[in-house]
Amino acid sequence: MPYIADCRITTHQEVAPEHYRLVVHAPQLAKEAQPGQFCMLQVREGHYPFLRRPMSIERIFADGVSFLYKVVGEGTRMLSGMSQGQMLNVQGPLGKPFPRESGFDRYIITAGGIGIAPFPALADALKRELGKAPEVIIAARTERFLLCEKDFRQMGCKVHFATDDGSAGEKAFASEVLKRLSPAAGTVVYACGPMPMMKATHAVCAAAGAVCYASLEAEMACGDGVCLGCVVEANVEVETERMVRVCKDGPVFDTQLIQWESY
Amino acid sequence: MGVNLQVNVGGLIMKNPVTVASGTFAYGQEYDQYFDIAQLGAVTVKSLSIQPRAGNRPPRLVETPAGMLNAIGLQNVGIDAYLRDKLPYLREKGCTIIGNIYGHAPEEYAELARRLEAENGADAIEANLSCPNVHDARTVRGGALVAQAPERVAEYTRAIKAATKLPVFVKLTPNIIDIVEPALAAQEAGADGVALINTLLGMGINPETRRPILRNIVGGLSGPAIRPVALKMVWDAAKHLRIPIIGMGGICSAADAMQFILAGATAVAVGSYSFRQPDAALRVIQGLEAYCQRHQVEDIRQLIGAMEA
Repeated sequence: MPYIADCRITTHQEVAPEHYRLVVHAPQLAKEAQPGQFCMLQVREGHYPFLRRPMSIERIFADGVSFLYKVVGEGTRMLSGMSQGQMLNVQGPLGKPFPRESGFDRYIITAGGIGIAPFPALADALKRELGKAPEVIIAARTERFLLCEKDFRQMGCKVHFATDDGSAGEKAFASEVLKRLSPAAGTVVYACGPMPMMKATHAVCAAAGAVCYASLEAEMACGDGVCLGCVVEANVEVETERMVRVCKDGPVFDTQLIQWESY
Repeated sequence: MGVNLQVNVGGLIMKNPVTVASGTFAYGQEYDQYFDIAQLGAVTVKSLSIQPRAGNRPPRLVETPAGMLNAIGLQNVGIDAYLRDKLPYLREKGCTIIGNIYGHAPEEYAELARRLEAENGADAIEANLSCPNVHDARTVRGGALVAQAPERVAEYTRAIKAATKLPVFVKLTPNIIDIVEPALAAQEAGADGVALINTLLGMGINPETRRPILRNIVGGLSGPAIRPVALKMVWDAAKHLRIPIIGMGGICSAADAMQFILAGATAVAVGSYSFRQPDAALRVIQGLEAYCQRHQVEDIRQLIGAMEA
């Protein structure tokens, strides 16, 4: 069940230009949160911005959770101005988590840009619950936006880099690196990033017979299945059921469900 | 001091004057996890149509200054699934229900009203004659919405009234020059109340891609940005109507709700603010009671239309 509570900000730091890690004290929320779920953050009182901001949960601790976000507009700009010790109103945990099923030969995480946000918690859970440290592809425009490398290495994950400009790792898209890792039947791939990146990831997985789960992003008002604003088009036979809600039916979807032709 | 908050909206008894705007509360259950929704004066459900509707293609929603634009397009489960899957929860909770309906012709509205009454699916009907998001944006012009043509408002209202004994409210559009005309047409055709206002038409363009932000191009603007417009329309209509008004448009607080009551609304609805604060309507109820105590008003009905000019 989601909570709504004022939570104290215990850490708030810039981890790369325009990228921040925010940790809040929220024991109840942390107890229920699962990797892949998200929270709706109320960046300030008053009517501007009007809506909360959805943020993936980055790490789940005993007494709180962290978020990793990029400043993309005025709401996240205001959020970035909040200081340690201030109270932030948080609603969550919301949405469906990443499935964590045993029995796969390989677990691969692939992240584009700020799409890395939900994965430290997932890698940690896979390691603890299944004894498998996933391989991780971290892709970004350029080297300084490659985030969380240290966290993944500490968990024993093998890390691959891809950058648009070749400043670190391969000068390639995440999906190209994934393809060279030869996913196959028995591989599960977790993806999060820009829509074209996830579309390409789905294509690689579909061709290889690998299972792929993607965490999608959409503008949303409520975060809890009410407003129907955040839908994406799904491959569903019943025409009237083809709009699925990123907030409630997702944000994590089996990529076979999504109509990628639209993106 | 005990305060009476109960109101009679055209035959619908509400234990307090606060409901929620259709489309901002789904079918209630989703927000019952945050507060006891049976405390609301009424739950107004998402528009119901005879057949389920997929709604418009995304993107459907974007935030705007002090509000939001949406072009959902009346995605809903349809009347059958509502009666089968959604209604039992609301009845079990003891909620008063306003059944919002949408159809393509007067006969469809009549059919929906009949079904809701026959199957105890609602305690009052709210006819949505004003959704801006179910027409092709490239061709939509004045008169495309039923609520933009008073004679059509009358025709639809008569058809619904002939089909049910439940109180019938007609939800009107602000995308019109004079709200009094369709409101009077509804009253003369037998409506038991009017709901004012639906969303204002608006749009957004991404200057970088030069494309519309919403796939539908245009959408409906809601939130505090439209509150002064809504309030003025309620005030205008109240001066000319005998039937009660349910006022809505950007209400976030009891102070906002009081403005609508003072302007002449018998009841109010909290709309898109519930998206941000799921228990916003409950806080409005509590705030109205506190307001009455602070102003030593024993009965909130004394405040309806009590603006001192």
